[in-house]
Amino acid sequence: MAGTGHAPLRDDRDVLLTVRDLEVEFPVGRNEVVHAVSGISFDVAEGETLGIVGESGCGKSTVAKSIIRLNDIKSGSIDYQGNDLAHMEGEALRQIRPDLQMIFQDPISSLNPRRKIRDVISEGIAVWGNTKGSWSQERVEELMVAVGIDPKFGERRPHQFSGGQCQRIGIARALALDPKVLICDEPVSALDVSVQAQVLNILEDMKARYGLTLLFISHDLSVVKNVSDRIIVMYLGKVCEIGNADELYEHPRHPYTRALLASIPEPAPTVDVSESDIEGELPSPIHPPAGCRFNTRCQHATDICFTDEPVMQQVGDSDHYLACHHPVEVSVSVGER
Amino acid sequence: MGDPQLTVEDLYVRFPTSRGTVEAVNGVNFTLEKGQMLGIVGESGSGKSVTAKTLMNLLPRTAEVDGNITFEGDDVRAVAKERRKHFWGVKMTMVFQDPMTSLNPVKRCGEQITETLRYHLGDDKATARKKAIDLLEQVGVPEPAKRVDQYPHELSGGLRQRVVIAMALACEPSLLIADEPTTAVDVTVQKRLLDLLDGLRRDRGMSMILITHDLGVARGRCDDVAVMYGGRLVERAPTETLFADSRHPYTEALLRTIPRIDQPSHTRLEPIAGRPPELIDPAEECAFAPRCRYAQPDCLGTIPPVGGVRGQHEFACFHPANTERGRQALDANLAAGQTVTGLQIQANAGVN
Repeated sequence: MAGTGHAPLRDDRDVLLTVRDLEVEFPVGRNEVVHAVSGISFDVAEGETLGIVGESGCGKSTVAKSIIRLNDIKSGSIDYQGNDLAHMEGEALRQIRPDLQMIFQDPISSLNPRRKIRDVISEGIAVWGNTKGSWSQERVEELMVAVGIDPKFGERRPHQFSGGQCQRIGIARALALDPKVLICDEPVSALDVSVQAQVLNILEDMKARYGLTLLFISHDLSVVKNVSDRIIVMYLGKVCEIGNADELYEHPRHPYTRALLASIPEPAPTVDVSESDIEGELPSPIHPPAGCRFNTRCQHATDICFTDEPVMQQVGDSDHYLACHHPVEVSVSVGER
Repeated sequence: MGDPQLTVEDLYVRFPTSRGTVEAVNGVNFTLEKGQMLGIVGESGSGKSVTAKTLMNLLPRTAEVDGNITFEGDDVRAVAKERRKHFWGVKMTMVFQDPMTSLNPVKRCGEQITETLRYHLGDDKATARKKAIDLLEQVGVPEPAKRVDQYPHELSGGLRQRVVIAMALACEPSLLIADEPTTAVDVTVQKRLLDLLDGLRRDRGMSMILITHDLGVARGRCDDVAVMYGGRLVERAPTETLFADSRHPYTEALLRTIPRIDQPSHTRLEPIAGRPPELIDPAEECAFAPRCRYAQPDCLGTIPPVGGVRGQHEFACFHPANTERGRQALDANLAAGQTVTGLQIQANAGVN
């Protein structure tokens, strides 16, 4: 597993955000640390939707929070339009933050219950005043209409809206400062299926309308596939596989990606369901296994997997990269099951 | 087949609140055969958990319940006082969504299993402990002899849920109700827990009611699936029939709104218009009518009764999808560009 190596980084000029060797650790006392993210590299092209999937504890939310500096970064760089976000401080960081906005998992608790939603949406514009467009009634109404909330409800407070509506208000708030990058951390996990589609469609519409670049994090593999152009599969703080969304789901090569796809109640037709019998429990992120981090649960593991960490490598000449000593051969499709 | 193991007839559950009466369950009827796995699917507020809690006698005192529930010949709502202690938790048990809150954090896992055994079956300490270790082994907990003395916080979410399942199985129930048993865990763990529940059910000839919001989970595991909406059971059929040939427009809409793994990325989703139904003083009409593409004037006058073929494919709709009547209703609505409730609809989202 292991996402060391810069193979998946593209050198095109339209790359907007490049994360290099990002490492994040959290102290947990007794001189021990949780290795939340251990040296991962990836990039996001302008106008692209990058999905990040993985199970709880794989570090996907930590990656998102690191990009907007909501947690401390141990090492690595995050290049955004020539600025290294990982090493910015103070006023410079403040100036760049409107470009990177985030929407969160729980739509209701991420809105201040005591404020009118018009004020919730416009707070960013009020803070930034003239530099990011002056506050105006029209701007707030435009945002509300864009996400499908009737502007006449601007005087209401969050508790008067349903979960799906609150999430749309959260999207309007994130869009108020004309961000370039929108980071969505499990934006539909708390919603019922009938409203999930509304929110996903609005995200697609907003992406087209405002030219956004999206970082979309979810544990739901079908949702991630639906919204993403490119997908990163993470496991225990490392990257397993990166690829174009359709390609990755049709030809998953990493044993973990395959196990994940086989575990869905209606597994992907390209994957052998017997692979989902991955044994054992997720190892502790305080003492992650040496070598490949997936070695404790991998059916294909051999000696080399316990000593050498696999490096990200390109598969053929496609936009598909993986870190595995024994990638599963998928030249012959296993789809006919 | 004889009598069904469980029969629920005309079940109504209401909660009086300061804002009015919440009509959580509105006339639900269903039966469960011995050894069957019934899935109950629905969104928040559809009444699926309230139905389960009614079966388990776990509703708060304020709830007003009406209807008949018969389980293995016993009238569940009128179990004699002295039998109550050993009725629930013995023959009929339940597994809840969140394993952390359904386990006592200050008691060892083993004690929580032996408590059930000693109370209900009168086992002595040593026997109960031996049984607890056996049970943990059966539910696939590694090193059961060590885990039995650990506290819930020392276990992962998946193992905790296995301990909860072991507790529920301790008295060898004939019916296990699992309310969103895998919602709080990851997909790989979910797969293993569902495999476990399925295996246990087959080995023990136990019946199961699996309550879930995830249609995929229901499809993969259940013999029959019932769909609930606004406190009513709107459709019930054998699993394959329900997914291949759904009748109720809500079931159809639900199946179309979920992103599917076999669709290419960026496939436009079809959201269900409108919002979930109001449960306080609902109107005397089909609860789904305001969001339904098939809605006709008759949907607003009365609540559609459950029709179809009893025991096989039941549904509560006047203009069911995938039938001639449904097609006519939809064509008429498409021609008008809107339904009787004023819902705007377009032809491109039409039925295949």
